[in-house]
Amino acid sequence: MSADGTGFLYPFLGAAERDADSLLADLARSAREKAAESAALQRATIAEFGELVEKAAAEMAPRFAAGGRLYTFGNGGSSTDAAILAGLFARPPEGRPLPSWSLAADQAVLTALGNDVGFDLVFSRQLIAHSGESDIALAMSTSGGSADLLRALEEAKRRGLLTIGFAGYDGGRFATEGYVDFCFVVRSQSVHRIQESQAVLGYLLWAAVQRRLAEGEGSDERR
Amino acid sequence: MTAPVMPEQPLDEALAADLAATSLSLARRFAAGATLWSLSPAWEPHANHIAVEFVHPVIVGKRALPAVALTGPDPVGLARASVRPGDVILAVATAGDPVVRSVMRRAPAWGTTTIWIGHGPRPPAGAADHVLWLDDPDPRTPVTGRFVLLYHLLWELTHVCLEHPGLLTEPEAGCDGEVCVTCSDEGRLGEVISEAPDGRTLVRTAAGQELVDTMLVAPVAPGDLVLVHAGTAISRIDEEGEAR
Repeated sequence: MSADGTGFLYPFLGAAERDADSLLADLARSAREKAAESAALQRATIAEFGELVEKAAAEMAPRFAAGGRLYTFGNGGSSTDAAILAGLFARPPEGRPLPSWSLAADQAVLTALGNDVGFDLVFSRQLIAHSGESDIALAMSTSGGSADLLRALEEAKRRGLLTIGFAGYDGGRFATEGYVDFCFVVRSQSVHRIQESQAVLGYLLWAAVQRRLAEGEGSDERR
Repeated sequence: MTAPVMPEQPLDEALAADLAATSLSLARRFAAGATLWSLSPAWEPHANHIAVEFVHPVIVGKRALPAVALTGPDPVGLARASVRPGDVILAVATAGDPVVRSVMRRAPAWGTTTIWIGHGPRPPAGAADHVLWLDDPDPRTPVTGRFVLLYHLLWELTHVCLEHPGLLTEPEAGCDGEVCVTCSDEGRLGEVISEAPDGRTLVRTAAGQELVDTMLVAPVAPGDLVLVHAGTAISRIDEEGEAR
């Protein structure tokens, strides 16, 4: 809107401008509501799972100390969240770098397995190739129901790995099948809000593992 | 270490307004046929997450939009080869990231709109068309969901804007800064492509490829940035974006 009082000369432009302004105001308000929701869910998630994070880290630290690796995996946006988490373990801003990678990172392996043996097996086949019993498998999902993740967790459990599942909604099959040792369920129906809380859970897990390793935990099992 | 939990309201009013304006701008570019190019040299999976968010929305019924992650050893070269005038580049990086700074400096020559998500000290004013910034310098910011929240909201608000077709026509470009076509005061940014057979230099600008005289700024090499005015490169732009 013109400040010099000539707005009446361009009633159409003025109306169009007002519409954009009102849309922008709505968008900003909606963004703030969702951001507050995201922050509240993170708090609730930490309150609910803080203790379980410590328990999981207590199992992870000796495995790393014994030379174990962390494999992370998920589908779509969750695969990128899993890759960020693997990167945090492997190239931490501080503390000890730990062997960890995302099983979705190698396009040759992923497409070869997907094409030749079926997508449900893309992660489990890699665990068969790579993993040993001191390793850790961490699956990130929002539904807790993806077949490829479930097959991988099942395989991991069979091979003696520590298994960790991140889910949302009601936890899906991550929560009901017996092969997830530590299941973290973010209580939300929104894929976006679930992922935002899973990020902080992953961070806390990393921080707790680092703290335990720094305190020397599990070091006597190293050799 | 204390839990890096988000503040109760992670978006202050200014950031929420920036996010809204960025979303409208992005929706307008998509409506005009743009592709979104994401990059995050220090945290590549963020670039992948942005691409999959737009290409394969989590909400059934939302349309797929063209978005591609620029990853690998040379995102600048990849962007140079890939982006078309009218496209949008979205970077997730701190203000000091040399790759992103290079991309942002070149973007006006490529005719692209730029969005920069980051945290800590801010990039200089005008470094990108839209800056969505978390001032918190905590190095844990990129891995605790706060960037994810920002691009999730950007995706969501962009789709809301796309439901308002009447608002998707871009306003006429104004007269601002060194790319003002009307006044031609300072000139338009160009990126040197190669030497032309006639002794002039082939330069890429937002308007396309142009042959310009580079006598005033010679010698020039491919990738150099110059200001073009009336068929002549009148000055060079250095690594910090200053004319010299």
